[in-house]
This record gives sequence, C-alpha cells and structure tokens, in this order.
Amino acid sequence: MMRRTTVLFVFLAAALSLALFSLKYQVQDLEDEFVALNRSILAERRATHVLEAEWSYLNDPVRLGALAARHLGLRPVESEQMGTLSTLSVLPSGREGAPRTNVADRNTLPLLTPLVGGRAGR
Amino acid sequence: MSRPIHAEAWQRQRVRLEGTRKQALETGRNRLLVTSVVFALAFLAIAGRLVDLTVLGRGAESHLAAVATARAATGGRADITDRNGVILATSLPTVSLYADPTEVLDAEEAADKLVRVLPGLDRSAVLAKLTSRGRFVWLRRILTPTQQYAVNRLGIPGLAFQRGEHRVYPHGRTAAHLLGFTDVDGRGIAGLERRFDETLRRGAPLRLSVDLRLQAMLREELSAAFVGSRALGAAGLVLDVKTGEILALASLPDFDPNRPATAGGEGGFNRVTKGVYEMGSTFKLFTTAMALDSGTVTLRDGYDASRPIRVSRFTITDFHGRNRWLSVPEILVYSSNIGAAKMALDVGARVQRSYLGNFGLLSRSPIELPEVAAPLIPARWRDINTMTIGYGHGIAVTPLQMAGAVATVVNGGIARPTTLLRRPDGVQPEGRRVLSVATSRQMRALMRLVVLRGTGKRAQAPGYRVGGKTGTADKLEGGRYRSDASISSFVGAFPMNAPRYVVLVLLDEPKDTDGKAATGGRVAAPVVARMVRRMAPLVGFAPVPAEETPQGPHPLLASLNPPPAKVREQSLAAH
Repeated sequence: MMRRTTVLFVFLAAALSLALFSLKYQVQDLEDEFVALNRSILAERRATHVLEAEWSYLNDPVRLGALAARHLGLRPVESEQMGTLSTLSVLPSGREGAPRTNVADRNTLPLLTPLVGGRAGR
Repeated sequence: MSRPIHAEAWQRQRVRLEGTRKQALETGRNRLLVTSVVFALAFLAIAGRLVDLTVLGRGAESHLAAVATARAATGGRADITDRNGVILATSLPTVSLYADPTEVLDAEEAADKLVRVLPGLDRSAVLAKLTSRGRFVWLRRILTPTQQYAVNRLGIPGLAFQRGEHRVYPHGRTAAHLLGFTDVDGRGIAGLERRFDETLRRGAPLRLSVDLRLQAMLREELSAAFVGSRALGAAGLVLDVKTGEILALASLPDFDPNRPATAGGEGGFNRVTKGVYEMGSTFKLFTTAMALDSGTVTLRDGYDASRPIRVSRFTITDFHGRNRWLSVPEILVYSSNIGAAKMALDVGARVQRSYLGNFGLLSRSPIELPEVAAPLIPARWRDINTMTIGYGHGIAVTPLQMAGAVATVVNGGIARPTTLLRRPDGVQPEGRRVLSVATSRQMRALMRLVVLRGTGKRAQAPGYRVGGKTGTADKLEGGRYRSDASISSFVGAFPMNAPRYVVLVLLDEPKDTDGKAATGGRVAAPVVARMVRRMAPLVGFAPVPAEETPQGPHPLLASLNPPPAKVREQSLAAH
C-alpha cells in the first residue's frame, strides 16, 4: 500500500513537473511573441505618425493649389460657377426608375468642387 | 505468528523497562510533532498562496501585458491640428549622424562616400572632423529615413546614429504666427506652442478653431496685396461671429517655424494680436452703433458737416468732404469725420467709454496667445478725445479687438470672447449683450450700404452680401501725423442678412499707385472681396442673386437739404 502510494506520488510529481516545465516555456514563448508584437505595433504607429505628417505636408493647400494650376489648369471656384438645379435648362425626365437626384437642403449643385481641400475630420 | 507478538511485547517491555530512554523518545517524538506541524503550516501557506496566485489571480500580473500606448509611439510632444484634424505641428523621431574618429579606418574614403550620399556636406569639413582628436563629432543633424538607410549602406565603421525628436510644421509659413515654434530642446517659446507648452508636453493634442484651407487662402490673398501695395506689413483675420472662433489669422511679413532663426525682427511680430493701430474710420461703426443704441440719434437725424471743427490746436476735416448737412447713415457711408466727431460728443465721454469697454476695446483681448498687446487709450478722457475717438484717432487697438467688436455689432449685439481653440459643435459660449437686436439690424443695413453706395464699393463680391466699413488713418510718428503714411483697413461681414463671418484686412503703410491714394477702400476692400468669394463656397454658402437695389437715391441716403426738423448742432466755442 505504502509502496503504491509512493509510486503514484512520484509519478504524479514527475508528470506535474513535466507539465509545468512545458507550460513555463509555452508562457515564455507567448511573452516573447507579445513583446515582439508590441514592438511591431510601436514601429507601425511610428511609421503611421510619420506618414500622417507627410500626408499633411503633401496636402498643403498652397502646394495643391500650385500643382492644380500648373498641371490641371484649375482655378479657385467663382460664384458664377455655382448654380442650383433650377438654373439647369434640361433636367433628366422623370422616367420610371430614373435615379432621383438627392438635392441638399440648400438646393445647391456645386458644378466644380473647390480646388483646395484638407482631409475630412478623422 | 506468535513471534512478532512476542517481540512486540518484548520491546514494550524493554521500553517500559528503561525509564530514561523513554524520556528521550518522548522528547524526540514531541520535537518531531512540532517540526512536522511547522512544516505542514509552511506547506499550507505555500499552497494557499499558490491557489491565490493561480486561481484567484484577479489580473495581478496584468502590467506585464500592457499594450503599447500611442504616447510611446509618438514620443513626447503632442500634435496641434486644425479644426478638421489636419496636422499643423507634430513631433517626428529623427536620427542624427555622429562619428567616433578613432574608429574610422580610412577618413579620406569615408568623407568621399558621405559627401556622395549626403549632399550639402562639405568634404573638407567632414575630413577635418573625421581626422580630429576626440571620440565624438556631429556630422549631420536630422537625417531623413532614406538618408539614414543610405549612410547605413555605406558600411563605414565608426559612424553611429543618435535618436532624437524634432518638431515639424508641415505647412511652413501658412500658420506661423499662430503656432509659434519650439527651441532645440522641444520647449515652446512662441505662439500656441508656448501658451500650451504644459498641455502639449503631457501628450494632450490641441485642436484649433482655425481652418487650414481658409488660413492658406487668407495668407495668399493678403500676401498678394502686401506685395502689390509695397506695404510695410499686413494683417488679416476671419472670425466666426456666432462662436467667437478664429478661422484664419495671418500677419505679414512672417517666418518659417521650421527654421526659428527666421522669426527674428519684423517677421516674428504678430500684427493681429500684438500690433496696436489707430484704426481710423472703421471706428465710426462703434460711434454710430452706440449713438443709435443709447437713443442719442435716430437714422433720421443729421449733423452739419459743412465746416471743419476747430478745437484748440486741432482741426477736424473730412477726407471725402461733402460740405453740407449729413444724415446719420450718410456720415457712415461717406465716412465723415466731422459728423462722427459731433455724434461722439453728443453721446458723451462716459457713455462712449462704457460702450467701448463692453465691445472689449479698452482691455487686452483674452486670446490664447502669449503675444498680445494692450490697447493704447487716453489717460484723461476729455471732449477732444471723445471727438477723435469718434472717428478712430487717439485710441489704438489690435486688429483682433477690432474684428471682435465688429462681430458684436453684426451678430445681434452680443459680445463673445474670441478664441483659437475649437468649440464643440453646437456649443455657443455665453455672451454679454452690448447692443439691442434692433440696433444691430440697423447697423447691418448701414454696413451693407457702405459697400453698395459708399467708400467700400470694392468689397462687393457677386452673389454674397458683403457689408463693412473702410478705414484709412494717418500714421502717428513722433507725435505728428504723417500724411504720406497710413494704416488702410477694411472690416467686412457676410452675408449681411444673417452674418456668419467677419473678415478684416489691414495694410500698414501701403504705397500709392498710379497717383491714387492707398486708402482702405482701394487696397484693403478688394482683398476682403476676393477672400469672401473664395471662402463662401467652402463654408457652405451658395451665391444668391443680389437684392433689388432701387434706382435713384437710397431712402436712407436722402439728402438732408434742406436740414430736417431735428438737426443737432454743437456749440464748440465752449470747448
């Protein structure tokens, strides 16, 4: 009886220590992975941050204005270029299934979008 | 089977027999018991702790799993963004290149290679550094990632990089005076960087009320006028009259915050908040508003502006002289100094002072910038001061104060503090009523009339109802007014039926062109018109057909000849 319990306990102890051993290494691996992930998140964040600054720089209204003027021949929008639907002589006929134009509350149809533009709110 | 019993009995017998031995055994057993109890307790404690740690852990070790924070990623100082979230100032990680000359094997070759990948480096200077004694020399501060990669690829031993942080302003000069700049250690030393240094250091980003698109537009238009009129300086401002938010603020000449060395002298001077100017005729808006609001005059009253006023050694004359009786609207529309002076005298010094105080013109504006000047006001408020202040002389205020006061005049008569920080959507700061709603409505009509019929015709923007007032003030220098140097300004608001924005443009000493005087109506009003035309579609205003303007004389401008029943006349002999 005594012998059997001893054997049982020795076996249990060995099994448990083996399990603990493997668990410890598993945890260590997870931790390593975690640290690596954290590090890469930081690196990505840093990269995003730099890219955001660059995006802001590239979207500088002055720069965009100059580029649009040089390559596209665009100029700042004038009030004559703005109109409403009522100023259009030919309106799409109200055929069945024809898409209905959803007009904003001001009933405005900007015919040309403004030349310069920043990024919309985040 | 009997043998063990026998032996047992024998043993018992023996134990029983030897008393001293029994004593020793008892002691040993007791000691063993005590020891085992102590051990049992210790094991129990360990087991308990083990259960506590593993089963009842409650995340005691959670600090190990701390996720990388955004703050750690961006480093110390927080960003400054405009009202739409566009980055105006940010801190970027940078690397700087240094060398340990003792470890550089071939200085000649290293210098050759470095100059090839880092244009702008002087070969002889690099060579001198690499052959110098000592163990540390800077080769280049602030490298781009591409440059760092290129240097790394050269594989020169003895070169190393130092990590650091650098404040970057992606839009350069566009919002220079607002943002200010930081020193090499990242401390804010001017502008918002200085005012909110603590906040930014803590990592809390700053969101401004400024709209970068309008800011760039204003700077561009202002810059064109500044160059075209060969002025000494220029100031411009766009203000939301409902919330007191500043949407754009520009002062010229300016500087590049990325190169703080350019901020010395004139360039670093923010004319909008730190410059105080005698505004001239734009002040007539306040004189008229306070006269109407206090009930001193009505729109039907008038003053004799046919003769200059002489008070001791001063003579008050009209620039656009009409030499006749002028009604109150005419005084504003034709910008009569004589009429405004008489009206101010009628209002009285005490009332004038209290109204100007309520407009915020007598105290430093509460704007969030360190560079703010206090207005210059007369120490003793005599009648002559009352009269000259009536048409904007003898008092000097900042363009910012001016715009804030005009916002009060047009927004229904409520004074609100101006701010550079974005207010939450739909939140309107509590203001203080200065003028009645009726007075504000009358003033809006008069300001529209100035643009339609008066000195501000060049401020017209087709499709948008602009109203405003011109101002041209001779510059005071060494106690004398110079007739050849002026402060020319225009302060406008639109759309005049329900004003949303005040636009102010001021030029310091614009030069006359083609023999025509560089008045506010000639040089500043067109800038406001262009600004309105460009910004209106962006802020959501569609052009509207112009209101019907009746042909012939405007009812408010009906000539007061012969003089109406109630005409005010001052007896100035007493003063």
